Order: sequence, then C-alpha cells, then structure tokens
Amino acid sequence: MTITHEGHNRARRRREARTGLAFVAPFALLFLVTFVIPIAVSIRSSFYRAKPSGGGLYGGGELVDTFVGAENYAQVLGNRLFWDGMGRVLLFGAVQIPVMIGAALALALLLDSLLVRRVTIFRLGYFLPYAIPGVVAALVWTYIYSPRMSPINQALEAVGGGIDFFAPGTILGSMANMTTWTFTGYNMLIFLAALQAIPGDLYEAARIDGASEWAVVRRIKVPLVGRAAMLAVLLSIIGTIQLFNEPTVLAAVNPWMGKAYTPMMMAYNSMTGGVSPSGAGPASAISIVMAIGAGLLAAGYAFLQRKTV
Amino acid sequence: MSSRTARTTGSLAAAVSLSLVAACSSGTPAGPSSAPASSAAPATPVSIEYLHRLPDGEGMTKVADIVAKWNAEHPDVQVTATKFDGKAAEMVTKLEADIKAGTAPCLAQAGYAEVPSLFTRGLLEDVTTDAEKYRSNFSEGAFTLMTVGGTAVGLPQDGGPLVYYYNKAEFDQLGLQVPTTAEEFTAAAAKAAEKGKYIAAFQPDEAQYSLSAQAAAAGATWYSADNDQWKVDASGAATQKVAAFWQTLLDSKSAIVENRWGDGFKKALTDQKLIGTIGAAWEAPLLAGDMAGSPNEGQWAVAQLPQLGDAPMSGPDGGSGVVVLKGCPAPAQAMEFNNWFNTQIDGLVSQGLVVAAKGAMTTPEPVKAFYGGQDVFAELAKANEALNPNFPYIPTFPAIGADMAQAADRAGKGEGKVADIFTAAQQASVASLKDAGLPVAG
Repeated sequence: MTITHEGHNRARRRREARTGLAFVAPFALLFLVTFVIPIAVSIRSSFYRAKPSGGGLYGGGELVDTFVGAENYAQVLGNRLFWDGMGRVLLFGAVQIPVMIGAALALALLLDSLLVRRVTIFRLGYFLPYAIPGVVAALVWTYIYSPRMSPINQALEAVGGGIDFFAPGTILGSMANMTTWTFTGYNMLIFLAALQAIPGDLYEAARIDGASEWAVVRRIKVPLVGRAAMLAVLLSIIGTIQLFNEPTVLAAVNPWMGKAYTPMMMAYNSMTGGVSPSGAGPASAISIVMAIGAGLLAAGYAFLQRKTV
Repeated sequence: MSSRTARTTGSLAAAVSLSLVAACSSGTPAGPSSAPASSAAPATPVSIEYLHRLPDGEGMTKVADIVAKWNAEHPDVQVTATKFDGKAAEMVTKLEADIKAGTAPCLAQAGYAEVPSLFTRGLLEDVTTDAEKYRSNFSEGAFTLMTVGGTAVGLPQDGGPLVYYYNKAEFDQLGLQVPTTAEEFTAAAAKAAEKGKYIAAFQPDEAQYSLSAQAAAAGATWYSADNDQWKVDASGAATQKVAAFWQTLLDSKSAIVENRWGDGFKKALTDQKLIGTIGAAWEAPLLAGDMAGSPNEGQWAVAQLPQLGDAPMSGPDGGSGVVVLKGCPAPAQAMEFNNWFNTQIDGLVSQGLVVAAKGAMTTPEPVKAFYGGQDVFAELAKANEALNPNFPYIPTFPAIGADMAQAADRAGKGEGKVADIFTAAQQASVASLKDAGLPVAG
C-alpha cells in the first residue's frame, strides 16, 4: 500500500517535472539561442584574431583564426579612440541622464496628480516618441538640425540668430536632446506605474494630518518611487554606454565624427573593416570591455544608491 | 560607379539601411537550390546567384530583365540576381558570414578599392584561367583592378574616372575657359570667386576616394610591392601637388567647402553658386538628378580633369566589378555569365554606369538633355582611357577613410592643412597593414 502510494507520488512528481520543463522550455531555448550562445561565441572570438594564412602582399587569400590570448583586449585598452569614445558617452550620460530622469519624474507626478484629466491621452502622447524606431527618429532630428534646412534655424535667422547643431562642441548636446525626447516618456511610464502602486490610504492619512499637496509629493511620492528611479537610471546608464543610432546617423553627414565616435560605433566599424584592427576578434573585445564598463558603472550606482537610501 | 552610388545616394538613406542589416543578413534569397552540377547528370541546370548593388531606378533597364534574357538563352545555367539594399561594407560582412555557412552566392559586386580586402579575408575564388578567356573584352586597366597580385578574381563592370563638370553658360558669362591645368584652374577659380561664384567644391566626406583618385591623376602610386612587402607612398611628391592645389584654392577662398552628400552641396548647385565640380564619371546622372527642375538644366557640360601632374591623366574614384566568391560550385559557368552580363553595354549604361567593357556607349536621353546635348558618355569613356594604370589598393584600404575624412574636415575649416590628409592616409595605411598582419616596409 505504502509502496504503491510512493510509486504513485513519484510518478506524479515526474509528470509535474515534465510539465514544468515543458513550460520552461520555450523560454530556456530562446534564452540559450539568443543570449547564452551569442555571448559565449563573442567571448571566445575575443581571444582570436583572423590572420593571413600565407605570406606575400595579400596574405595568401585565406584567413585562419589564431588564438592571440589577451592581445585584442590589450589593443582596445591601449587605444585612444576607444577611451575618447568612452569619455564622450560618460560626459553624455552625466548630463543627459539626470535631465531625462528629472523630466520623467516631473511628468509622472503631473499625470499622477489630480490636476490632469484624460491621463491616457497624455500617457500615450509622452510615450509615443519611444515607439518610433531609433534610426527613423535620428533621421528626422538630423533634418531638424541640418544647417541649411533646419526649420529652427530658419526661424532663428529671421531674428538674426542661428545654432550650429553639428559643431563639434554642440553635437553631444544635440544628441542628448534626441535621446531625451525618445526616452523621457518611457521612463515616465516606469515612474507612473510606481506612483500608482502607492496605496491611497497614505495620502488620506497625510491629508488628515494637514499635509499640503507639495508635502505629499516630497514626503510620500518621491521617496516611494526610489526603486523605480534606480531601475530607470540603471537602464539609462546601459543605454548610454551603447549609444549608436544617433551618432551613426549624424556621422553620415558629419565626417569629422569618424567611425569611432562612441565605443559601440567603434565595435561595429571594426567588424565591417572601417576601423583597424578589424575583424570579429577586435570587435568582440571592444563589446566585452564595453559590457564590463557598463556593468561596473551600474553596480557602482546601485551600491551608492543603496548606501544613501 | 554604383557600389559607391548606392552607398552614398543620400547619405541619410544609407543610415536607414542600418536598420535593414538584420533583415538582409537573415538569409539568402529564395531561389532554385544551388546544388553543384555533377558531371554525372549534365541535364540538371546549374544555378548561379548574383548579389548586386546597382540602382535599378526609374527608367533604367532592370537587372532582372537583363538576367531574364540570359536565362532564356541558357537553360542549363540559370541565374538569380538579388539587390542588396545597404552599404558596401555591410554586404561584405554578410558575404563573409554566408561563406562560412556555405550559403554564399556565386557572384557579388565589389568595389575595386575593396577587392584586395575581400581577397585577403579569404572570400574570393581564383578564376585566373577563366578570366583570361574574356580579358580582351574589357579595358586593360579595369581588368587589372580585378586582379590581386596577378590572380584574377572576377571581371570588371564599370569605372569611376575623375572628370570635370561645369556650368558652361555660367562660365561663358564670366568669360572663363575650361581650365586644363592646375594653374589655369586656380586662376579661373579666383576670377569666379570675385563674382561670388565657385568652380570647385572641397568635399571632406569624399576625401578618401576623391583625393586618392586625384593623387593618382597627378601620377602618384600609393601602394607598391618592394621585396614582397608593401611600400606605402601616400604623401609623396606627386600627391603633394594635389595638396598644394587645394591648399591654394582654400587659402584664397576660391573653393567652397561642402560635404558631397550633405544638403549644402546640392543647394550650392541649384542656387548656381557652385558652377563647377571635380567628380567621378558615375556622378554624371546624379548631378543631373540633383539639379533637375532648376535653371541649370541644359547648361552643364563635362570636360576632362585638368592636368594635376606631369601628364594629363585621370584617377579612379570608385568603380566596381563582379567577383566570384569562395566555394562557388560552378566558377566556369559563373564567369561565363559574368562576362556576358558585363558586356551588356546598353543595359548597364542605362543604370548610369561607365562600362569597363570595350564598345560604344550611347548617352541616355535625359543625361544628354541636362548636359546641353553633349555626348557625355563619349567624354567619360575618354577619361576612362586616361586612367592612371598603376594605382593598386591595399587590403586594408577601407580602414583609412575615417582618418582622411577627419583631417579633410579640419583642412576645410582652416584648422589644418590639406597635406595633413595625406599624412593621415600614410600613417593609417601603414598601421592598418601591420594590424592585419601583412608585411609592410617602414
């Protein structure tokens, strides 16, 4: 009796395990194919370099993958192009992220307040720029910025002004404006979701205690969206390190930007042969150094945040 | 030529293509299976795939139509042509992946300046024996550009010799003659500038191709073999003539500075502020298109490039051929089609190409009309004949463009000298060859 019972149990457990695995399988498979394998491949590739098999001017017309140890990494870390690019994205992030997060929080607080009616329309409206593909948005902005056709400059010229959006000292700001436009609505949604999860009793209690709307915002709402803010900032840091669409589109009309204006552009152009050393090995090494950099920054931020909160 | 045309026609459009890379690389076009024709079953037709970047625009003889003609006449060799909508460099990356996966097409378009790079990367088949059979059908210079150290890897399609485009009506009005030497050019430019007109545009974004071609026209050979090592001479005496030529124009403010693919260039043309420009042969229909509907129509003309060096010569700015890719199961049949396709002069001319095949080209009507009835293609063919025959490229040539464009931008702004562009080319050439593990002197 006990034996059959146990056997029955075991069979059921096995059946449950099978069902569970079947449910996990689609995720696990996709995760493996689109995530784990590509990462493993690029890590491996970052230790190899395709080298000419033969001698002569054209290297024999055949490349062989050769293990080069940390050579690719050494070249990335010693390459001024890479650090210049890193410097640009860091400067970009240091200015753009606080502005964007601040704007997103302000918009979310506005929508969450009782001041705004028809929240859905505004929510959708602010979010809309995010729904436009990055390259398309960058093209539209390039037109708006373009020195001779810019509608902004045409208006400014009428009053004797004009801004060169493509000047080397200005272009980072022009790009920051593009990404802020795209991502503010997205981050606002994160904040709005957090705000709407705050129990109404808290507000009620505060009001009974005589708190003003402003005090409610400062003492209840802002502290309680802290976790959401952390998420938004972490995502922004990672996104900034990987800045690619905007500089690539702008570089098409601003050749002075070169092919390594940001580290991601450098990785891409190393892959296609526009930046030397080129090939999958050097390109992978750049990507992995970038990933480590983004990870360190994100971890550093999370650490500081936890310490202060 | 067209790989460059397609790459740059609207620099913005090129950027759009970025978003398409993923889509483009996700598979080879559907077509008949490319199983090799086994000698045991000669009845099975051979399938050849051909990846190109020709414009296939309005009013042109479509590539598909030309290929359909071949397919009708050759039931045993069936060709599928597919257009790659993206940048040349992206197509190469795609082909590299396809070759590794064994799914690459047999034939693909490749720019002359990129052929050595493709060869070194192990993407090309040695088809010297087959190429020799068709050699006499093509101009010798173009045929040589499809060889790498004596190994033929395909056949040439079109050339991009530099010529001089100018607005004849405006020149007449200013009392200017078409300049035939660098000295005459700078003198004419100064005279035009006094009247607020410019007969030349300095184009930082085209520095790599246009200025290297001008150096070639001045008699330079940037890359040569020395003791089985590359000898790089991108800033030598002949090249310095080009540097001095542009420095004079920039210092005297008698050339405007505009990126070729920026909106300012087109605006300067349509406003008739820019009334002359040094450009590649493949720009003839592009310039006509840029200025369509403006008073410029019918006023322009094409002349040979002014003599920049010791002898009148032109230089190669673009141009491309069709290479046979590694692993092609039927290289002989592929080359047979390659030869046939690239000798379809009328169809290729309609695509805006100055063909590499020998034979007379008829200027398409719209082009003729824009250039005041001139037999434009006869003039372009003359430039093709005048190409510097000795201007091979290094396998890492694609990697030196960014440094040149950046130096050119500084020169255009007066923050640097034109000569710095060639110093940058010299340094980037040597460094990239070393990075690629290829032998280089110095």
